[in-house]
Amino acid sequence: MKIKTFSAGFLVFLLVGHAIFMQVLIRQEQNASRNEIYNKGNHVVSLIALHTVGDFEGERRDFFIKTLTEFAFSQKLAYCFVNDKNGKPIVTLTFGPESAQIPDRIQTSSLAFTGLGNPLLNVGSPEYGMHEFSKPIYEDGKLAGVVRIGFKPPAISIISMERISLIGMLSFFIMAAMIFVYFGFVKAFKPIEVFMGKIINNKSFRMAGAPSFSKGLGITPVMRAFKRSIVELRDRIDEVEARNKELAAKNGVLRFEKNQVVHILNSVNFGMVITDIQDNVVFINSYILRLLNKQQEDVIDSPLEKVFNNKEITSFISRQQGVKKLRANSHLEVTFPELAPNETYRVSGSYLLDDNKALIGKLVMFENTTKEKEAANTTLEYTAHLSHELMTPLTTIKSYSEMLMDGEISDSETQKEFYNTINSETSRLSALIKDLLNLSKIEMGSLVLNQGRVKSDGLFEDCITSVEGAARKKNISILRDVPDNFPTFIGDKDLLKGALINILGNAVKYTPVNGKIQFSLSEETNMVVFDVRDTGYGMTEEELSRIFEKFYRSDNPQIVEQQGTGLGLAIASQIVGLHGGEIKVESQIGKGSHFSIKIPKKENYLGRE
Amino acid sequence: MAENKTVLVVDDESYIRRVLELKLKNKGYHVLSATNGEEGLALIEEQHPEVVITDIMMPKMDGKTLCEKTNGLKQDRPFLTIVVTARINPDEGLWIKQLQDTQLMEKPFSPTKIVEAIERYLGTKK
Repeated sequence: MKIKTFSAGFLVFLLVGHAIFMQVLIRQEQNASRNEIYNKGNHVVSLIALHTVGDFEGERRDFFIKTLTEFAFSQKLAYCFVNDKNGKPIVTLTFGPESAQIPDRIQTSSLAFTGLGNPLLNVGSPEYGMHEFSKPIYEDGKLAGVVRIGFKPPAISIISMERISLIGMLSFFIMAAMIFVYFGFVKAFKPIEVFMGKIINNKSFRMAGAPSFSKGLGITPVMRAFKRSIVELRDRIDEVEARNKELAAKNGVLRFEKNQVVHILNSVNFGMVITDIQDNVVFINSYILRLLNKQQEDVIDSPLEKVFNNKEITSFISRQQGVKKLRANSHLEVTFPELAPNETYRVSGSYLLDDNKALIGKLVMFENTTKEKEAANTTLEYTAHLSHELMTPLTTIKSYSEMLMDGEISDSETQKEFYNTINSETSRLSALIKDLLNLSKIEMGSLVLNQGRVKSDGLFEDCITSVEGAARKKNISILRDVPDNFPTFIGDKDLLKGALINILGNAVKYTPVNGKIQFSLSEETNMVVFDVRDTGYGMTEEELSRIFEKFYRSDNPQIVEQQGTGLGLAIASQIVGLHGGEIKVESQIGKGSHFSIKIPKKENYLGRE
Repeated sequence: MAENKTVLVVDDESYIRRVLELKLKNKGYHVLSATNGEEGLALIEEQHPEVVITDIMMPKMDGKTLCEKTNGLKQDRPFLTIVVTARINPDEGLWIKQLQDTQLMEKPFSPTKIVEAIERYLGTKK
């Protein structure tokens, strides 16, 4: 329904209503004025009738007429007639312009009227009438005359000020209500209009004959369009659902890939924390969770400083914030004394940027550098040791030769001693250098075993020969313990001889005078076994665990006394290792030591003899 | 000048002890010797030497520990400590600078240079 039709109908209804309302108003007004006149008329006629006929005659007549005239004027009296009992007029007063219109009939006809009455006398037009009130005058209980007065009914005015303002007010309220209702409707329909307008004017929804909502508001086209749009919408929903299924499949793949990545990050051997711009943790891998002994849900979305509770890390990471470009080599060494004592971690941070190079967070990495540091320390220690070992014989050589050159040693015995010392220290130095070269060759993997068939009897005797001299000096006897059949095996004879002589030499060195050494050769499954047992000083557990370390020398003063490079056993064990064999040591303080060297036979080796 | 002055040589190398003993005795010093830090510490506390010459790498107690342990004694009775070391990098001897009356002598050293250092120290003290 259009708003115009609606308004017109409403206006007609309003006018009809108004007319009926006016009629009711007029009727009410007429009744009110008639009642007023009746009351007034009865009252006035009664007042006049109280007088005697004589009052209207003689000397009081003028006074009466004057009073009546004043009264008639104020009370809009039309006429006043007083007649005596014979009908003879005593007073005939008419007032106002209407008095001329009073017909003679009225002046005479009602003379015989004796009671109260209010006949309406029409004068002129039917609407124009007069109300007559009459009352008899009694004197001494006898009728003496009749008073009649006439009132012109007051004009019925429906257009009074009160009414105009009342009507005005009513009209205002009605108009206001209409406007209110109109805008209410418009307002109520607006969202629908906009919604439908959007749908219908939308390119994908535009249909032939779809109403344009700029024309105005109407429920029917809206509903029609709405219906049509719903059909379209349903099609659209089907389409979107199909697309959603496709997306869900893709999402599944992505989630799988994300899980894969998370799985990988959780299995790496370093810590990784990803934060957002506010330094809140958004990802933390298992490595760090294990280190911190925390659960993922406890740390996700928590600030970094709360998670680590380490001011060094927090300030390092926030300092990174101040640096525009990430310094790749800037890092921090931290420890977690309570969580991982003796472990050192290297913390480094980098920025996470999106495609537009905007900062979206940070990546903080934790790397356990304990082993690295240990290795660095070991290298440093080794270098210091090496330097010490090389510089000590050099110092002896330098200082002894300086003393000799400066002529400070005059005594020839001491001079001889000094020359001998220089000589032996030179040998020591060269032996050390040789050992070092061998060791570095082995360690660098550049030592190639010159393998061949080794006859164990020859090797066995060669070893004894090389230490016999030293043993004899200390009166140490070397006992042989050999099988009937000497085995042969595959190996580098020269290197193995060096290793065995080193061990045998140590036995001589660390066995006191008059001691015994037993050198045995035996066979085990596919192994040739050399055993060296001495009655030497023996070693403590700590010494046993360290004798194969480079430059390790015992604190035992009897051992300190002996010359040595500190590399012999390290080299021997490396050589045995290169052959695929092993060295075992047992020792008891004060009783002696037992070195057992096992070399695989590798009999099927077809190399040179 | 060197009379009644005691020098303690702390080194696990007998050859080095021997040469320093000879050199210092030739110069008129009274010489004590020890083979490690522990023995050295005991002799310092007992004999109150005017000069201590010590190696760093020694069994039982190394030279660094010996220097640190005896540094406190120098407040009441100052004495010179000469640390002989095969230094491999310049930072290595930094700890020596923190100690009172302690000097560094690099290996291989010259016995003459050691005597000069001792005389310089004792000379400035007098």
